[in-house]
Amino acid sequence: MPQRARSLIAFAPMTCTHGFSWRGALLVTAAIALAGCATVKPSQREALSKPEMTPASDGLEDEFYGHIESARQGSFGGHGVGAGGGGGCGCG
Amino acid sequence: MRLSRHRRRARRSLLSLTRLAALVLVAWAALHPGTTAAENRVTLGGNYYRERSTRVIQPYVRATVDAPDERLTLGTAYLLDAISSASIASGTMQATGGDNVFTEFRHEVVATASSRLGEWNLGTFFRYSTETDWISRGTGLAVARDFLQRTINVSLAYNIGVDRIYRIRNNIGDRLPWCGGAIAPQDCRAKGSGTHSNLLLIHNFELGYTHALHRYVLGIFGVQYAHLVGPQDNPYRENLIISAIPETHPRVRNRFAIAGSVRATVPQAHLVFEPYYSFYVDDWGIEAHAPELRIHARVHRHLRLRARYRYYHQSGAFFWKADGMYIDNDGQCTRDHPERCATADVKVTAWDSHTPGVQLVWEFDGLARHPGLGWLEGGYLELNYNHAIQHNRFGNARIANATLSFAF
Repeated sequence: MPQRARSLIAFAPMTCTHGFSWRGALLVTAAIALAGCATVKPSQREALSKPEMTPASDGLEDEFYGHIESARQGSFGGHGVGAGGGGGCGCG
Repeated sequence: MRLSRHRRRARRSLLSLTRLAALVLVAWAALHPGTTAAENRVTLGGNYYRERSTRVIQPYVRATVDAPDERLTLGTAYLLDAISSASIASGTMQATGGDNVFTEFRHEVVATASSRLGEWNLGTFFRYSTETDWISRGTGLAVARDFLQRTINVSLAYNIGVDRIYRIRNNIGDRLPWCGGAIAPQDCRAKGSGTHSNLLLIHNFELGYTHALHRYVLGIFGVQYAHLVGPQDNPYRENLIISAIPETHPRVRNRFAIAGSVRATVPQAHLVFEPYYSFYVDDWGIEAHAPELRIHARVHRHLRLRARYRYYHQSGAFFWKADGMYIDNDGQCTRDHPERCATADVKVTAWDSHTPGVQLVWEFDGLARHPGLGWLEGGYLELNYNHAIQHNRFGNARIANATLSFAF
């Protein structure tokens, strides 16, 4: 059996028996990160620089939703991810 | 009132931390000369939240000034929270003589400083918030760096919250410190730390990762961890517990959230698709999933519309009982002693919700081309409306906000 298929089978029980798999999440994250290692040149970022593509442009709205959710939900987090101190991808 | 040594020391430490962070920023900016972009901005806004028993009106104003450019940006904000018939009202209505509508005001002021120098971003803030029965101070530091010609941005943030919690006793503002349901009111102090103190300490860590995966695709990933120690139950909810015992939650909570989203644009159609998902887990036994989809459409050169749908589901905490039957036991509520816990808090029950919403953004750059209206350049008006269909005791909620922002 090819090595890749074996590793997929070894990985499968974790995702089936549990609702959330940390190994799965890490694998997906690593795959996305590695796939995107190619640099997007500044001249190619016109579409990325638009406000609707900039996470920081939702900052005030997400701050309010975060405030509501902290008062009404048992959970937190998510809002403002990527915008905290970083200002998005710096595409502007 | 004479401040105790403990309180003075804690307050001094928090202020020293904030001052040190601000000084580091100023020195950092001064040591890195260069000319970069500058923009000052003032933003006025109002948030509105309405459900069956609660209404929140929240006006605010914010201003940021580049001094002299993005190497050092200083900001300030003021926010007023007017909460009518809040969740605490069932208790405070008795304490205040049975008013039909109890309105509470919370004032919040924030000071910020940030600096962008080449590939680095630094930021710090100090926040002070006060209301009748809750005083909160917070400060934090954030650092971020761009990599691969700004294709990747990694950010790291830490902030600390130092809160003091009280219980209102009557309608002239008399209050007692609240140390949680396990501590008798006469044994609770408004100073120091520990189980007999009304101090709630919050440590919060955030890691953010943003990646331009393609010229049309942006990936965003974040992790957040918070450690809370102190009273986390509500002093007024004992009236909602069948056996009328004080609400008693664990004093310690470890919270963890992970979130990821993608923004993908279709330039020809002027559309952006933004799927989003967050997962949350804590040591109270609550797990939450929140998938969301946002679709942005640029319907005109300076006009954007956005539709949003969010599904939210959470499980109940280990000490939550669907029948609401709790027994009055002495001692702290912990995993090992769930029989000492009691709750009437919707936030720790199992429930789900659906939230559709719409947004309209009008950018003023088109108007700014007309004679005499050049000052509108960079300004915008943003309107949001969301309707939350909540399957819990709170019922459905209407959420709206308006933002008017000008650059100068």
